[in-house]
Amino acid sequence: MKKIGIVVASALFLAAGGVAAQAPNDAQIAHIVVTANQVDIDAGKLAEKMGSTKAVKDFGKQMVTDHSGVNKQAVALVTKLKVTPEDNPTSQSLKSGGQENVKNLKTLKGKAFDKAYIDHEVAYHQQVLDAVDKTLLPSAKNEELKALITKVRPAFVAHLEHAKMLQSKM
Amino acid sequence: MRTRTLRFALALVCAGALLPSVAVFAAEPAGAASAAKPATHRVVIDGLKYEPEALTVRRGDTIVWTNKDPFPHTVTATGKFDSHDIAANGSWKYVARTAGDYAYICTLHPNMKGTLRVE
Repeated sequence: MKKIGIVVASALFLAAGGVAAQAPNDAQIAHIVVTANQVDIDAGKLAEKMGSTKAVKDFGKQMVTDHSGVNKQAVALVTKLKVTPEDNPTSQSLKSGGQENVKNLKTLKGKAFDKAYIDHEVAYHQQVLDAVDKTLLPSAKNEELKALITKVRPAFVAHLEHAKMLQSKM
Repeated sequence: MRTRTLRFALALVCAGALLPSVAVFAAEPAGAASAAKPATHRVVIDGLKYEPEALTVRRGDTIVWTNKDPFPHTVTATGKFDSHDIAANGSWKYVARTAGDYAYICTLHPNMKGTLRVE
Protein backbone atom coordinates (compact mmCIF):
# COMPACT_ATOMS: atom_id res chain seq x y z
CA MET A 1 0.00 0.00 0.00
CA LYS A 2 2.74 2.37 0.97
CA LYS A 3 4.36 1.69 -2.37
CA ILE A 4 1.19 2.58 -4.28
CA GLY A 5 0.85 5.80 -2.34
CA ILE A 6 4.37 6.75 -3.31
CA VAL A 7 3.73 6.03 -6.99
CA VAL A 8 0.66 8.27 -6.97
CA ALA A 9 2.48 10.94 -5.03
CA SER A 10 5.45 10.94 -7.37
CA ALA A 11 3.25 11.05 -10.47
CA LEU A 12 1.48 14.14 -9.24
CA PHE A 13 4.57 15.57 -7.69
CA LEU A 14 5.71 15.99 -11.26
CA ALA A 15 2.56 17.98 -11.87
CA ALA A 16 3.05 20.07 -8.75
CA GLY A 17 6.82 20.34 -9.13
CA GLY A 18 6.44 21.41 -12.73
CA VAL A 19 5.09 24.79 -11.68
CA ALA A 20 8.38 26.47 -10.94
CA ALA A 21 10.37 24.91 -13.75
CA GLN A 22 7.82 24.62 -16.50
CA ALA A 23 4.10 25.13 -16.16
CA PRO A 24 2.04 22.85 -18.41
CA ASN A 25 0.32 24.52 -21.34
CA ASP A 26 -3.42 24.12 -22.00
CA ALA A 27 -2.95 21.21 -24.41
CA GLN A 28 -0.95 19.39 -21.73
CA ILE A 29 -3.43 20.28 -19.01
CA ALA A 30 -6.25 18.86 -21.13
CA HIS A 31 -4.21 15.68 -21.51
CA ILE A 32 -3.57 15.48 -17.77
CA VAL A 33 -7.30 15.94 -17.02
CA VAL A 34 -8.33 13.20 -19.43
CA THR A 35 -5.59 10.85 -18.22
CA ALA A 36 -6.35 11.43 -14.53
CA ASN A 37 -10.02 10.61 -15.16
CA GLN A 38 -9.20 7.56 -17.28
CA VAL A 39 -6.91 6.13 -14.59
CA ASP A 40 -9.74 6.31 -12.08
CA ILE A 41 -12.24 4.85 -14.56
CA ASP A 42 -9.98 1.83 -15.09
CA ALA A 43 -9.62 1.19 -11.35
CA GLY A 44 -13.38 1.73 -10.89
CA LYS A 45 -14.23 -0.85 -13.55
CA LEU A 46 -12.12 -3.37 -11.70
CA ALA A 47 -13.77 -2.52 -8.37
CA GLU A 48 -17.23 -2.92 -9.89
CA LYS A 49 -16.30 -6.52 -10.67
CA MET A 50 -13.98 -7.44 -7.82
CA GLY A 51 -15.24 -5.43 -4.85
CA SER A 52 -16.44 -7.75 -2.11
CA THR A 53 -19.16 -5.45 -0.72
CA LYS A 54 -21.98 -3.54 -2.35
CA ALA A 55 -20.55 -0.29 -1.00
CA VAL A 56 -17.20 -0.84 -2.75
CA LYS A 57 -18.82 -2.00 -5.99
CA ASP A 58 -21.17 0.99 -5.95
CA PHE A 59 -18.28 3.35 -5.32
CA GLY A 60 -16.34 1.85 -8.23
CA LYS A 61 -19.39 2.18 -10.46
CA GLN A 62 -19.87 5.80 -9.48
CA MET A 63 -16.21 6.56 -10.23
CA VAL A 64 -16.72 5.13 -13.72
CA THR A 65 -19.89 7.18 -14.24
CA ASP A 66 -18.62 10.47 -12.82
CA HIS A 67 -15.16 10.44 -14.37
CA SER A 68 -16.54 9.29 -17.73
CA GLY A 69 -18.95 12.22 -17.60
CA VAL A 70 -16.11 14.65 -16.89
CA ASN A 71 -14.06 13.22 -19.73
CA LYS A 72 -16.94 13.44 -22.16
CA GLN A 73 -17.21 17.13 -21.33
CA ALA A 74 -13.43 17.61 -21.49
CA VAL A 75 -13.28 16.01 -24.93
CA ALA A 76 -16.20 18.14 -26.12
CA LEU A 77 -14.37 21.24 -24.91
CA VAL A 78 -11.02 20.48 -26.55
CA THR A 79 -12.86 19.61 -29.77
CA LYS A 80 -14.65 22.94 -29.64
CA LEU A 81 -11.42 24.79 -28.86
CA LYS A 82 -9.58 22.85 -31.54
CA VAL A 83 -6.91 21.88 -29.03
CA THR A 84 -5.14 18.55 -29.42
CA PRO A 85 -4.30 17.16 -25.97
CA GLU A 86 -0.54 16.84 -25.70
CA ASP A 87 1.16 13.97 -23.92
CA ASN A 88 3.59 15.01 -21.20
CA PRO A 89 5.59 13.53 -18.30
CA THR A 90 2.79 14.07 -15.76
CA SER A 91 0.27 12.20 -17.92
CA GLN A 92 2.80 9.44 -18.47
CA SER A 93 3.43 8.92 -14.77
CA LEU A 94 -0.27 9.07 -14.02
CA LYS A 95 -0.81 6.39 -16.61
CA SER A 96 1.99 4.12 -15.42
CA GLY A 97 0.95 4.65 -11.78
CA GLY A 98 -2.58 3.65 -12.74
CA GLN A 99 -1.40 0.56 -14.56
CA GLU A 100 0.69 -0.45 -11.57
CA ASN A 101 -2.29 0.02 -9.27
CA VAL A 102 -4.54 -2.12 -11.46
CA LYS A 103 -1.85 -4.78 -11.71
CA ASN A 104 -1.51 -4.88 -7.94
CA LEU A 105 -5.29 -4.91 -7.38
CA LYS A 106 -5.68 -7.86 -9.72
CA THR A 107 -3.55 -9.98 -7.37
CA LEU A 108 -5.94 -9.30 -4.46
CA LYS A 109 -9.31 -10.64 -3.44
CA GLY A 110 -12.10 -9.95 -0.95
CA LYS A 111 -11.37 -7.58 1.90
CA ALA A 112 -7.74 -7.17 0.84
CA PHE A 113 -8.90 -5.94 -2.56
CA ASP A 114 -11.44 -3.57 -1.01
CA LYS A 115 -8.88 -2.07 1.32
CA ALA A 116 -6.16 -1.63 -1.31
CA TYR A 117 -8.63 -0.11 -3.77
CA ILE A 118 -10.16 2.32 -1.30
CA ASP A 119 -6.79 3.29 0.22
CA HIS A 120 -5.57 4.09 -3.26
CA GLU A 121 -8.72 6.08 -4.08
CA VAL A 122 -8.20 8.23 -0.97
CA ALA A 123 -4.56 8.90 -1.86
CA TYR A 124 -5.32 9.41 -5.54
CA HIS A 125 -8.14 11.91 -5.11
CA GLN A 126 -6.11 13.85 -2.56
CA GLN A 127 -3.19 14.07 -4.95
CA VAL A 128 -5.39 15.00 -7.90
CA LEU A 129 -6.92 17.81 -5.84
CA ASP A 130 -3.45 19.06 -4.94
CA ALA A 131 -2.46 19.01 -8.61
CA VAL A 132 -5.68 20.85 -9.55
CA ASP A 133 -5.05 23.56 -6.96
CA LYS A 134 -1.29 23.93 -7.29
CA THR A 135 -0.74 23.34 -10.99
CA LEU A 136 -3.71 22.88 -13.28
CA LEU A 137 -5.85 25.84 -12.21
CA PRO A 138 -2.98 28.33 -11.79
CA SER A 139 -1.47 27.31 -15.15
CA ALA A 140 -4.59 27.05 -17.32
CA LYS A 141 -4.86 30.00 -19.73
CA ASN A 142 -8.12 29.29 -21.50
CA GLU A 143 -11.10 30.46 -19.44
CA GLU A 144 -13.35 27.61 -20.52
CA LEU A 145 -10.75 25.01 -19.62
CA LYS A 146 -10.30 26.70 -16.26
CA ALA A 147 -14.10 26.83 -15.80
CA LEU A 148 -14.45 23.13 -16.52
CA ILE A 149 -11.78 22.19 -13.97
CA THR A 150 -13.35 24.53 -11.41
CA LYS A 151 -16.80 23.09 -12.05
CA VAL A 152 -15.76 19.46 -11.53
CA ARG A 153 -13.38 20.07 -8.62
CA PRO A 154 -16.15 19.62 -5.99
CA ALA A 155 -16.80 16.15 -7.41
CA PHE A 156 -13.23 15.14 -6.54
CA VAL A 157 -13.81 16.50 -3.02
CA ALA A 158 -17.02 14.46 -2.75
CA HIS A 159 -15.23 11.34 -3.99
CA LEU A 160 -12.41 11.87 -1.49
CA GLU A 161 -14.87 12.23 1.39
CA HIS A 162 -16.83 9.21 0.23
CA ALA A 163 -13.67 7.10 -0.04
CA LYS A 164 -12.52 8.24 3.41
CA MET A 165 -15.90 7.30 4.84
CA LEU A 166 -15.59 3.80 3.34
CA GLN A 167 -11.98 3.56 4.57
CA SER A 168 -13.02 4.41 8.13
CA LYS A 169 -15.39 1.45 8.15
CA MET A 170 -12.73 -1.07 7.14
CA MET B 1 -33.73 38.85 -6.36
CA ARG B 2 -33.34 42.19 -4.60
CA THR B 3 -35.58 40.99 -1.76
CA ARG B 4 -33.40 37.93 -1.40
CA THR B 5 -30.20 39.99 -1.24
CA LEU B 6 -31.75 42.33 1.27
CA ARG B 7 -33.00 39.45 3.33
CA PHE B 8 -29.58 37.84 3.26
CA ALA B 9 -27.95 41.10 4.30
CA LEU B 10 -30.44 41.46 7.13
CA ALA B 11 -29.85 37.90 8.18
CA LEU B 12 -26.13 38.65 8.32
CA VAL B 13 -26.65 41.83 10.34
CA CYS B 14 -29.02 40.15 12.75
CA ALA B 15 -26.66 37.17 13.05
CA GLY B 16 -27.07 35.28 16.31
CA ALA B 17 -28.68 37.80 18.62
CA LEU B 18 -31.86 38.34 16.62
CA LEU B 19 -32.35 34.84 15.33
CA PRO B 20 -36.12 34.76 15.92
CA SER B 21 -36.70 37.82 13.74
CA VAL B 22 -34.56 36.30 11.00
CA ALA B 23 -36.78 33.27 11.11
CA VAL B 24 -39.86 35.45 10.76
CA PHE B 25 -38.32 37.17 7.76
CA ALA B 26 -37.42 33.92 6.09
CA ALA B 27 -40.94 32.63 6.63
CA GLU B 28 -42.49 35.42 4.58
CA PRO B 29 -43.70 34.20 1.21
CA ALA B 30 -41.27 35.24 -1.51
CA GLY B 31 -42.76 38.10 -3.49
CA ALA B 32 -46.28 37.42 -2.14
CA ALA B 33 -47.17 36.29 -5.65
CA SER B 34 -50.55 35.25 -7.03
CA ALA B 35 -52.49 34.04 -4.02
CA ALA B 36 -53.79 30.61 -4.96
CA LYS B 37 -52.31 29.67 -8.32
CA PRO B 38 -49.65 26.99 -8.04
CA ALA B 39 -46.26 28.16 -9.27
CA THR B 40 -43.33 26.32 -10.81
CA HIS B 41 -39.89 26.87 -9.30
CA ARG B 42 -36.62 25.90 -10.87
CA VAL B 43 -33.47 24.70 -9.16
CA VAL B 44 -30.35 24.26 -11.26
CA ILE B 45 -27.71 21.75 -10.22
CA ASP B 46 -24.37 23.03 -11.47
CA GLY B 47 -20.84 22.44 -10.23
CA LEU B 48 -22.22 20.25 -7.43
CA LYS B 49 -24.43 23.03 -6.08
CA TYR B 50 -28.16 23.46 -5.88
CA GLU B 51 -29.04 26.95 -7.12
CA PRO B 52 -30.82 28.32 -5.18
CA GLU B 53 -29.64 26.30 -2.23
CA ALA B 54 -32.66 27.30 -0.14
CA LEU B 55 -36.10 27.59 -1.67
CA THR B 56 -39.46 28.51 -0.17
CA VAL B 57 -42.62 27.44 -1.96
CA ARG B 58 -46.33 27.14 -1.26
CA ARG B 59 -48.24 23.90 -1.00
CA GLY B 60 -49.24 22.72 -4.47
CA ASP B 61 -46.25 24.38 -6.16
CA THR B 62 -44.02 22.39 -8.47
CA ILE B 63 -40.26 22.34 -8.21
CA VAL B 64 -38.10 21.26 -11.14
CA TRP B 65 -34.47 20.36 -10.52
CA THR B 66 -32.28 20.35 -13.64
CA ASN B 67 -28.86 18.73 -13.63
CA LYS B 68 -26.26 20.71 -15.61
CA ASP B 69 -23.34 18.57 -14.44
CA PRO B 70 -21.86 15.86 -16.67
CA PHE B 71 -22.79 13.07 -14.24
CA PRO B 72 -25.87 12.06 -12.22
CA HIS B 73 -27.10 13.65 -9.00
CA THR B 74 -30.02 13.01 -6.70
CA VAL B 75 -32.39 15.20 -4.70
CA THR B 76 -33.06 13.18 -1.58
CA ALA B 77 -34.80 14.02 1.69
CA THR B 78 -34.75 10.63 3.36
CA GLY B 79 -38.22 9.32 4.01
CA LYS B 80 -39.82 12.38 2.35
CA PHE B 81 -38.87 12.54 -1.30
CA ASP B 82 -36.20 11.01 -3.53
CA SER B 83 -35.50 11.75 -7.17
CA HIS B 84 -33.11 8.80 -7.53
CA ASP B 85 -30.49 9.39 -10.23
CA ILE B 86 -31.09 12.50 -12.33
CA ALA B 87 -28.93 12.00 -15.42
CA ALA B 88 -26.66 14.66 -16.89
CA ASN B 89 -28.91 17.30 -18.50
CA GLY B 90 -31.93 15.52 -17.04
CA SER B 91 -34.49 16.97 -14.68
CA TRP B 92 -36.88 15.86 -11.96
CA LYS B 93 -40.21 17.36 -11.02
CA TYR B 94 -41.76 17.31 -7.57
CA VAL B 95 -45.10 18.68 -6.43
CA ALA B 96 -44.90 19.92 -2.84
CA ARG B 97 -47.99 18.65 -1.04
CA THR B 98 -47.06 18.80 2.61
CA ALA B 99 -45.93 21.86 4.53
CA GLY B 100 -42.64 21.62 6.33
CA ASP B 101 -38.90 22.16 6.18
CA TYR B 102 -37.03 19.59 4.18
CA ALA B 103 -33.27 19.29 4.14
CA TYR B 104 -32.09 17.31 1.14
CA ILE B 105 -28.79 16.02 -0.19
CA CYS B 106 -27.36 14.24 -3.21
CA THR B 107 -26.82 10.66 -2.08
CA LEU B 108 -24.01 10.29 -4.63
CA HIS B 109 -22.20 13.43 -3.43
CA PRO B 110 -23.39 13.96 0.14
CA ASN B 111 -21.48 17.23 0.44
CA MET B 112 -24.24 18.72 -1.73
CA LYS B 113 -26.97 20.16 0.45
CA GLY B 114 -30.19 22.06 -0.15
CA THR B 115 -33.34 22.97 1.72
CA LEU B 116 -36.94 23.21 0.68
CA ARG B 117 -39.54 25.00 2.78
CA VAL B 118 -43.15 24.29 1.94
CA GLU B 119 -45.63 26.74 3.43
